[in-house]
Amino acid sequence: MSDFNPTILAFCCNWCSYAGADLAGVSRLQMPPNVHVVRVMCSASVKGEYILKAISQGVDGVLVLGCHIGDCHYMTGNHRTAKRIPVVQKLLKDVGFDERRVRLDWVSAAEGEKFQRVITEFVEEIKGLGPNPVREVMS
Amino acid sequence: MSDLGKKLASIAFDELGADYLLAMREEHGNVAPVMLARGQDPGEIRLDVPYQLVNILSNIYPWLKDGKVAVVTRRCDEKALEEFFKRELFDPRRILKIGLACSKEQVAKCRCSDPVPAKTHIGEPQKAMEKDELSEKLMAMPPEERLRFWAYQFKKCNKCFACTLTCPVCFCDECILEEKTFVPEPGIPPGMSFHLIRAYHLADKCIECGECERSCPAEIPLLTLRKLLAKDVKEIFGFAPGDRKTVSPLLTVLEEGCNEC
Amino acid sequence: MARIGVFICHCGHNIASAVAVEEVVKFARTLPDVVYSDHNLYSCSEEGLGSIKKSIEENKLDRVVVAACTPRTHEPLFRRLCEQAGINKYLFEFVNIREHCSWIHAKEPNAATEKAKKLVAMGVSKAALLEPQVESESGVIPTAVVIGGGLAGLTAAASLVAQDIDTHLIEMEGKLGGQLNDISILAPNFEKSADLLNKLVSELKKSERGHIHLGAKLVDVKGFVGNFEITVEEEGVQNKIPAGAIILATGTQEHQPEGEYGFRKAPGVVTQLEFERALQRGEVPKRVVFIQCVGSRQPGREYCSRICCNTSLKNALRVVEAGGTAAIIHRDIMSYGAAWEELYRQASERGVAFFRYSLEDKPRISAENKHILVEVFDDNLGEGVTLHTDLVVLATPLVSRDDSGDVSRMLKVPRDKNGFYLEAHVKLRPIEFATDGVFICGSARWPSSAREVMCQALAAAAKAAIPIKRGKVVTEAITAWSDPDKCAGCGNCVIACPYEAIEIVDQDGRKIAKVNETQCKGCGNCVAACPNDAMQQRGFTTRQLSAMIDALVKRALEESS
Repeated sequence: MSDFNPTILAFCCNWCSYAGADLAGVSRLQMPPNVHVVRVMCSASVKGEYILKAISQGVDGVLVLGCHIGDCHYMTGNHRTAKRIPVVQKLLKDVGFDERRVRLDWVSAAEGEKFQRVITEFVEEIKGLGPNPVREVMS
Repeated sequence: MSDLGKKLASIAFDELGADYLLAMREEHGNVAPVMLARGQDPGEIRLDVPYQLVNILSNIYPWLKDGKVAVVTRRCDEKALEEFFKRELFDPRRILKIGLACSKEQVAKCRCSDPVPAKTHIGEPQKAMEKDELSEKLMAMPPEERLRFWAYQFKKCNKCFACTLTCPVCFCDECILEEKTFVPEPGIPPGMSFHLIRAYHLADKCIECGECERSCPAEIPLLTLRKLLAKDVKEIFGFAPGDRKTVSPLLTVLEEGCNEC
Repeated sequence: MARIGVFICHCGHNIASAVAVEEVVKFARTLPDVVYSDHNLYSCSEEGLGSIKKSIEENKLDRVVVAACTPRTHEPLFRRLCEQAGINKYLFEFVNIREHCSWIHAKEPNAATEKAKKLVAMGVSKAALLEPQVESESGVIPTAVVIGGGLAGLTAAASLVAQDIDTHLIEMEGKLGGQLNDISILAPNFEKSADLLNKLVSELKKSERGHIHLGAKLVDVKGFVGNFEITVEEEGVQNKIPAGAIILATGTQEHQPEGEYGFRKAPGVVTQLEFERALQRGEVPKRVVFIQCVGSRQPGREYCSRICCNTSLKNALRVVEAGGTAAIIHRDIMSYGAAWEELYRQASERGVAFFRYSLEDKPRISAENKHILVEVFDDNLGEGVTLHTDLVVLATPLVSRDDSGDVSRMLKVPRDKNGFYLEAHVKLRPIEFATDGVFICGSARWPSSAREVMCQALAAAAKAAIPIKRGKVVTEAITAWSDPDKCAGCGNCVIACPYEAIEIVDQDGRKIAKVNETQCKGCGNCVAACPNDAMQQRGFTTRQLSAMIDALVKRALEESS
């Protein structure tokens, strides 16, 4: 499994997590190169459909990162993220995926180090889980 | 006029004061929905056909400019109606319910946990089923095996859309699953996202009528998939669809004092 | 077919040291819709910008992708460049290969290059689906409405009229001043509140810009920044006031400590405000005991009301001044800031006695002949003390007004768990509500001293003047819209929108969602809530984001095979 190089998608909200990722960059914090960030305005604009599609298409893991609860640029936007992602995770679990392939976390604009930690841990976790089995089972 | 027809007409027009009665009727060996006005012969009314009258009602509702409609409703139909009322898609004052308690066989077919209508006009209330055996069997499996099970099922799908067309709580006119935005596979079977997204969309509104499963020509156990997610949503939010007074937890803010962060 | 140009920036060594820029340029040329690709040493430099502009013109590009640093700093620059080159600025897509790639994978050049290719592929796939946008602009009614005619509202209104802005001050009582009418002297500098009140009222009255509505009840608020309509009922008649901005200055009320310390049962036990009124009438008792934190900083109401300690210090000094004695029984003296700390020092020096009690052992009150006995276990002395007094003053917190819920619903502004109004962000956007064009000042926001109230009111007036003086409101074109052909009118978006910017309307007999673009902040909550993909956000459509996923998957498969 050592040559497994996971493909990971991350949705980052513009105001906190994308800025946190920028800070990680400015601080030259090193992390594995498997995560590809899609910028959205609010984590709550991330449709469950995107995540389900990505997993169905063989993406190995999906991260959704937003502002901490209470700090959302859109007041209560991320409340809905906090409620939506667990449902997506459970659904994936119900059909036999490992729900750890989807992770929700909060990274503020000041948390470059947390961004690095979340990315590093998530990549490790996905490496531990192995490749997304969807292509094999659906073929 | 059959006894059943007479009884239904009497409940609808005399007891409930309806202007119309929506029910299923057998004619020349076929069973089809029928809309009756007061005084019309109901004919051979059938109640044993598991059919979503609410779904039929939703199709004709825009053309019914006035009047009250009595409709035969099982418990699941009542809950489907609640979802319509919640979204202000039906005027609750215009829909009258003739409660039908499902038979033991129907309850068993749906593994139904909530089979008794608010008020039973017809039928004998039966005991609820405590569990769905397939759900339990699947969740006891190792995840890889469960994934193979569902992959096998989903690969049988020929994208006929019977599940969405017969679903009473699919409110959309056009279905996004027909587009390639989220289901990019051009042919059949569709990719897994087809089934996952449909399940996700129903997470906060499926009333477990089982119509998707019954109508599926590929015999995919779709009701079990619904039941699995319904259980999760109930566990996470204490929410179950089918009550117009509640709002989907997926749309609202967190409870105060929540420590998610 | 789109004609996309892709420009990869070296950023000196910042990107080029980890990412093989020229290899990414070659890769970009293989992507669908890409007709041109090049690299720049510094895309943002004058030379870089000039070269991109020239390439746009020479190659008739209709969409531009720049892979460089972060859109959070440089997007406006490249958007402007696009406009100069004749392309709508919303046909620009930024790919971050510095902060999100070269800087964080500095020691893995191969992996960084591969990742940069994927990020560019994703950006290009989104760019192909970008659409030109027009920023919406709307006018602003050059009038402000201030709700509440207490110190906060008066200060804000006086400031607005001084800025030459037509201002309507809505006061529900028959006279202006609010709680200021009950307080004769203001700490810390012992000025007469009547002087302050008269000054503000006369400023307002002498200006033809000031319009005072007394005995006026707020009935309804509609609209959005620049274009509100406030319905007010006066003498049984409802009037509609159009306004561009609203300041909420409804104030607060004193907590009535029913049943505590014999309040309303025993004579000689009053609240601070009742004591203020007595002082105003010239009734100064010989001996006064103040009990602090009555009904606050305890389970059920946990906050510190902040002003009560200072008020007790002020009034204790007034008692001492008149030749009497005063004691303050407190849990902690909160006399924050230089002037208030000075007041505390003065009180101590002039013989005001301080005793400290704990929540577990509150003072007890009993009557004996003509005095009141107050027994307290003093935490500092470690022993019980009995005080004889003529009057017990209960320093109770300011609490949110009983009608704050109604006002909150009318204005669609949030309140905290104590019923006080919540500003958009305590540090980044104080005074402002998240709803544009609505501002908050005074104790409706949090218990505040007169001086703090005035500072906030001036800030709110300054903020409210911004849209009015600008005369227009421009909205970035990242707002949501609903496709009427797809919308089923289920109303999910209406519930999910944090700004109440969406309503269900009847269109040719069908119920569909409609977004008010001036109210929309572009968060996309509605997009995620829409089951049917009818709701879309400009610049972040579901097709655009889905295309990015497709591009990532495609490139990952190419890479692994």
